[in-house]
Amino acid sequence: MSKDVYILGIESSCDETAAAVVKNGREVLSNIISSQIVIHRKFGGVVPEIASRKHIENIMPVIDEALQQANVSLEDIDAVAVTYGPGLVGALLVGLSAAKSLAWATDKPLIGVNHLEGHVFANFLTDPELEPPFMALVVSGGHTALLKVTGYNSFEMLGQTRDDAAGEAFDKIARVMGLPYPGGPEIERLALGGNPHAIEFPVAKLDAPYEFSFSGVKSAVINYLHNQEQAKREINRADVAASFQYAVVNALVQKAVRAMKDTGLKKIVLAGGVSANKTLQTTLAEAVSRVGAELVHPAPILCTDNAVMIACRGYFMYQAGMESPLDLNAVPSLKLG
Amino acid sequence: MLTLAIDTATKVCSVALCRDGEVTAEYSVSMGNTHSEGLLPQLEQLLKRTNTKKQDIDLIAVSMGPGSFTGLRIGLATAEAMAYSWQCLLHGVDTLKALAQNIPVEGILLSPVLDAQKGNYYQALYQWQEGKLVELAGTEVVNKERLLERIAEVEMPALILGECKKLEKLELPAGVKLAPRNLLMPKASSVALVAEREFDPEADKKIFGLEPYYIRRSEAEELWEQRQKLQQQ
Repeated sequence: MSKDVYILGIESSCDETAAAVVKNGREVLSNIISSQIVIHRKFGGVVPEIASRKHIENIMPVIDEALQQANVSLEDIDAVAVTYGPGLVGALLVGLSAAKSLAWATDKPLIGVNHLEGHVFANFLTDPELEPPFMALVVSGGHTALLKVTGYNSFEMLGQTRDDAAGEAFDKIARVMGLPYPGGPEIERLALGGNPHAIEFPVAKLDAPYEFSFSGVKSAVINYLHNQEQAKREINRADVAASFQYAVVNALVQKAVRAMKDTGLKKIVLAGGVSANKTLQTTLAEAVSRVGAELVHPAPILCTDNAVMIACRGYFMYQAGMESPLDLNAVPSLKLG
Repeated sequence: MLTLAIDTATKVCSVALCRDGEVTAEYSVSMGNTHSEGLLPQLEQLLKRTNTKKQDIDLIAVSMGPGSFTGLRIGLATAEAMAYSWQCLLHGVDTLKALAQNIPVEGILLSPVLDAQKGNYYQALYQWQEGKLVELAGTEVVNKERLLERIAEVEMPALILGECKKLEKLELPAGVKLAPRNLLMPKASSVALVAEREFDPEADKKIFGLEPYYIRRSEAEELWEQRQKLQQQ
């Protein structure tokens, strides 16, 4: 019997201060998230300086709570895993500084984790049988990408968005429609009562088989709203939300199915904030099942930013001996793959 | 008592070790590179060169501001995590006060200043009286003119120290000088010395929820409030 491995995960890349303890990469012992959504709402989005101020207030209490709830002491921890990018630099630096200091003070390995890889690894906690190779569709406010996970520590980027990320388009349309921050879930809620085929919003067709583009559909929706207003025609907000969501989901699903066909992989996982979108989950599951593949998506609590996924990613890096040096810095635009 | 001190309030990244008022080691770097990269390697060197065991440290002293918001948070997050790991005391020190500690000389007015952006300064006034560092006037955000006015009001020869490079070009009134270069900027040893005098064995057990001395709110909050006021009018 090999010894159990406990990883402390720390995450502060945007507007959630989070810490978690994960045992052997798969068992969640604690998952503490201090969310700032309410604080940023009045500004219509995340204010970096305010986010950083909340992080420094909350970082140690959140870490302490994660250890207490897991019923593990700091000495029992085998390594400290922390998000070092991508994200807001000032926000990242709070979690990173605390993590580096904890690791150094207790003579434990420090493991710098790519936040986006973390999102992909959240799926290991949902599906105990998940193992590479598999496909990952990463959809968040900052990223839209098809990533082939060839091994626990090796990734191959198949294609990304050329302009806006899918989540970014959701947030922008939400803002134009006067919905509160964060806009993605609000669009989804509004779309529930709408007809997805009421208005046709075109999504750009690209030559590259796995690349995305969402700035066109975003402009189409904004133009539509503008034209209706000018003509003093009534706007069915639910129909707009449903039709917009349909266009984005459709583009994501088409490219994902193509990638599954081409690679012959049998599993695809969703990763990132937009993976919480139910329409995306059901449409994608149905579509990939037609090509003999299966969809895995994280539990709702692990779709948005959390430290469990960072600890999980950190576990596999720890097993591979991938430690980070003490001069590790935050990398706000860290790339995937 | 063994004290480990950190100052990352300005472009200087400084760490020091102090035992009962005696500075045993200090390591300061002012190269404009990020403190996130330098701070822990500097701490590692500091303990190595002095043969210090981590668990022997009794007190962590950290410079709390005013200063660069990001720099202050790097220092505080690092200090808090160390105090948490070693279960030792954590004492926050006013950065302007620590600057005044750089020059323990009686008979002059000390005016530490730090950059508050947009041509403004954080300024406080200190004086050493019978071996004690006394605050004559608290921290205010002031422009250059007001900065000199506050000094003139005390009517005493004065030294300005801290982030005062932009004041070099200014014609200073008679009796007002900038501190010598090697004493101008924050030193973690000064932070340690102030902390050793001021620490409180009960209050300094608290290491959760501390905030740097920002003095100023974030710009987003100020703008938001201005907008609210305009809407109300």
